[in-house]
Amino acid sequence: MSQIQARFFTEDKRYVVDDVPFSIPAASEVQELSNVINKLLEAKNASHSKVEFDFLVRGQFLRTSLSAHMETESILTEEVVEIEYVERITAPEPEECMMHDDWISSADADAEWILTGSYDKTARIWSTEGKPVMTVPGHTDVVKDVAWVKREGLTSLLLTASLDQTVLLWEWNSERNKVEARHCCRGHAGSVDTISVDPTGTKVRLERARQKLKRQQRTPLMTLSGHSEAVSSVLWCDSEEVCSASWDHTIRIWDVDTGGMKTTLTGSKVFNCISYSPLCRRLASGSTDRHIRLWDPRTKDGSLVLLSLTSHTGWVTAVKWAPSHEHQLVSGSLDNLIKLWDTRSCKAPLYDLAAHEDKVFCVDWTESGLMLSGGADNKLYTYRYSAQQAEA
Amino acid sequence: MEDIALSFPDIRNTVGNIPVEWYKDFPHIGYNLDGKKIYKPIRNKDELDDFLDKMENPEYWRTVHDKQTGSDIVLSDDQVELVNRLQRGQFGDVNFNEYEPMVEFFSSDVMIHPITNRPADKRSFIPSLTEKEKVSKLVHAIKMGWLKPRRVEDDGRGRYYDLWASEDSSILARHRMHLPAPKIPLPGHHESYNPPPEYLFTDEERALWEQQDPGDRKLPFVPRKYSSLRQVPAFSHFIHERFERCLDLYLCPRQRKMRVNVNPEDLIPQLPKPKDLQPFPTTQSLVYRGHSGLVRSISVSPSGQWLASGSDDGSVRFWEVCSSRCMKMVQVGGAVKSVAWNPNPSVCLLAVALDSVVLILSPSLADKQVILSSERLLSAQQEGEEPAEGNGSVVWSEAEGEELNQGVRLKIQHPKAVHQVVWHAKGDYLASVMPDNTSHLQVYIHQLSRRRSQNPFSRNKGLVQCVSFHPIRPYFFVATQRSIRIYNLVKQEMTKKLQANSKWISSMAVHPGGDHVICGSYDCKLSWFDLDLSTKPYKMLRHHKKAVRGVAYHRLYPLFASASDDGSVIVCHGTVYNDLLQNPLIVPVKVLRGHVMTHDLGVLDVTFHPTQPWVFSSGADATIRLFT
Repeated sequence: MSQIQARFFTEDKRYVVDDVPFSIPAASEVQELSNVINKLLEAKNASHSKVEFDFLVRGQFLRTSLSAHMETESILTEEVVEIEYVERITAPEPEECMMHDDWISSADADAEWILTGSYDKTARIWSTEGKPVMTVPGHTDVVKDVAWVKREGLTSLLLTASLDQTVLLWEWNSERNKVEARHCCRGHAGSVDTISVDPTGTKVRLERARQKLKRQQRTPLMTLSGHSEAVSSVLWCDSEEVCSASWDHTIRIWDVDTGGMKTTLTGSKVFNCISYSPLCRRLASGSTDRHIRLWDPRTKDGSLVLLSLTSHTGWVTAVKWAPSHEHQLVSGSLDNLIKLWDTRSCKAPLYDLAAHEDKVFCVDWTESGLMLSGGADNKLYTYRYSAQQAEA
Repeated sequence: MEDIALSFPDIRNTVGNIPVEWYKDFPHIGYNLDGKKIYKPIRNKDELDDFLDKMENPEYWRTVHDKQTGSDIVLSDDQVELVNRLQRGQFGDVNFNEYEPMVEFFSSDVMIHPITNRPADKRSFIPSLTEKEKVSKLVHAIKMGWLKPRRVEDDGRGRYYDLWASEDSSILARHRMHLPAPKIPLPGHHESYNPPPEYLFTDEERALWEQQDPGDRKLPFVPRKYSSLRQVPAFSHFIHERFERCLDLYLCPRQRKMRVNVNPEDLIPQLPKPKDLQPFPTTQSLVYRGHSGLVRSISVSPSGQWLASGSDDGSVRFWEVCSSRCMKMVQVGGAVKSVAWNPNPSVCLLAVALDSVVLILSPSLADKQVILSSERLLSAQQEGEEPAEGNGSVVWSEAEGEELNQGVRLKIQHPKAVHQVVWHAKGDYLASVMPDNTSHLQVYIHQLSRRRSQNPFSRNKGLVQCVSFHPIRPYFFVATQRSIRIYNLVKQEMTKKLQANSKWISSMAVHPGGDHVICGSYDCKLSWFDLDLSTKPYKMLRHHKKAVRGVAYHRLYPLFASASDDGSVIVCHGTVYNDLLQNPLIVPVKVLRGHVMTHDLGVLDVTFHPTQPWVFSSGADATIRLFT
């Protein structure tokens, strides 16, 4: 039985062990290493309770035995191996299930409220515990996307976009529970498929199923055209840049001030959705070929895919980065599954959540430890996940 | 010598053989026996005396002055004669004959004894010793490198002479093909005159041998045993055997059979691998459920966002492509045979064929501008125009009431059941097909903006299966059961007739470039016609096991698909080259399965997405599937 020299380290202050090399049997798996750490911590601190740990070697999660992992990664066994350990993320548990009347096309979650848009031409507001609070009718066609704009105390602004080519801005008073339409943004020549609100909450970007993007603040400020086919997803990278993914197989990044296109990332398949994480500055895109690809938006006009996550068996319709964790993202797809990924473990997702019975159309996170997903089975599920401490 | 010694002593010379100059100054030369000096003659001849002598002395010419004695001697006649002879170069002695006869030493006369009887030396028999020494010296010098051996010239030019270079190759070919008769095997133990007993025949073997045909026998003789060689009789069969062998050699024709060793795989043309021909649809992504009867026909909007389908349950449904959501359903009251979306992107209209009516629907699934322009197109009508007489059988009418709310705008009533509607590329003309064996009024071409219909054909050429407009030029394709006719609408005449080798054509599609046509037939074949090449099919593909129900081309990608009753859709890659010399490359690329066979029917219609490499197929299981 061969032994490997290993040194353990962690970013987590609560579970620090001594920084000396240990001699570990080469065929140990995650469970055995976890026991080792627990024993070390118990020796240090008698009141330590057993915690499950997950181990990373050189930034990749350890999934097989240590020796097999080192062999596949071609790490020399003679040197001391640095193993980082983190507290294992427990599986998110489904908490609530909110029934709608029709397919759920989109969801946007805030700290206390969840806003959903549905194919029954209405948008609804729910509390995070799952109680329906408000229904927002008013569109003449299917609501495709919803977004919170601003929340100031009791009143908040929200937007709904629909296939009837309009975007309605509503003001909602949570105390009195009344909602009124403030403004109707017209100007698109086709159905509005997605909208995105910029981080400062003043400007809104809309996207239409036909090709152009409009920046609006009541009336269109600017039209960004450049895509040759339908734009499927749009978001603000920061307050200066806007990113859009389209059916013409490209992701384009636009400069808001000039209205010009900054970068084009070319793929080979239709993009369904994108998500940007300011923590790790990466764009994740889901496409019709079942892969989730990570891009660096700073690359100049290339098609450099940093990482490709494959596990879904159908179109990936929604991806979202975790707001507090720079490596985690969740994706939903037409194969009825939601998958929670860690980019460090790129071969398989961390967890598969098979709560839906039909296609999943939208996913979202909240800051307070909730994940949402909505789909064609008319249900909006929320999952509780253990909030990870933000890594530096 | 003795003569000279016996001659008188020369008293004149008593000094010997010494130079006379030694006595030049003395008056005497030598001494006589008595010891007295011998005086030189007193008188010396001086010049005057000499001169006088020369003049007067008659014997001057034969007087010689002897220096030894100093006296003048007069030569005698003999002596003079001798001197003359010597001067002439002859021998002194008169009697000498220099031309004596030669005594031959080695003559041709055979003598009794040889001149020399010395035996031959050994060195005349053995290699020369001196030469050996010389050679060894040379070899040593070569070995030591003092001497370079002479380079042997390499005569590279072939010294070979091809005897048969000028011969006729056909003769040579015959020689090559000729196989000589096989060699006769060497005699073995059977042929021995005293073979071991096991080689002799037993009774059964002998009986068998006699029974067999002479050609079947292993040995042409019976092995016999004799105790000695002299008892062996003559071989009775000898001449026969030799004769047979001669026949074998020169009369039996043998020829080398050139068996072609061809690898069957080399004959198959090298087609590119499917994964080099991406993108093409590979997997089923979405299923559009909602219909309750078999879906006969589907059509995608030119923008690619909406899908319309017509089914036997009497409804036309509109679906959102990316989410499989049924956006709208219109009940039209009869089994829908065909739907076709207007290809004009600025107009949003759908033509629906059911029973004997063609409906024009306006689903409000587009921008308001587009809807407005559709309405404008539909309501445009020239004032005061009467419909022509030939159109008495086709009636245009507007929809009202409930139908208007549903989206129906126009109704075109036909005399018989309509099986197919198809739009022109510009979106104004519409063709409808009413198959009927007997009449010539099977095809109608309607113009939407003017609400006119006309029947372009005056003669019946067969049961029309389907029609199509040319995407670019003013041609019209009419497919009957066995052939496809191409008509020029401007010149109003038939330009071509394509003969498909199929018994019953079911569907037809025209390449977006306009030069190629594929047609599928009920006998499982799909023919590709290259209109520039010939009227016979360029390729016939037999991929399906059952009848081909629908074929389609992609508008942008080089793909075409065929749908069949065996439940599968086969997508093939078909690149068409711009230069007229290269034939299209057709590679079958994917078999897409997913439909469930219902009532022995499989996939009924297939169509491509206008911009993405996706294919839609509708089947008898009441679903529409999207493959991407």
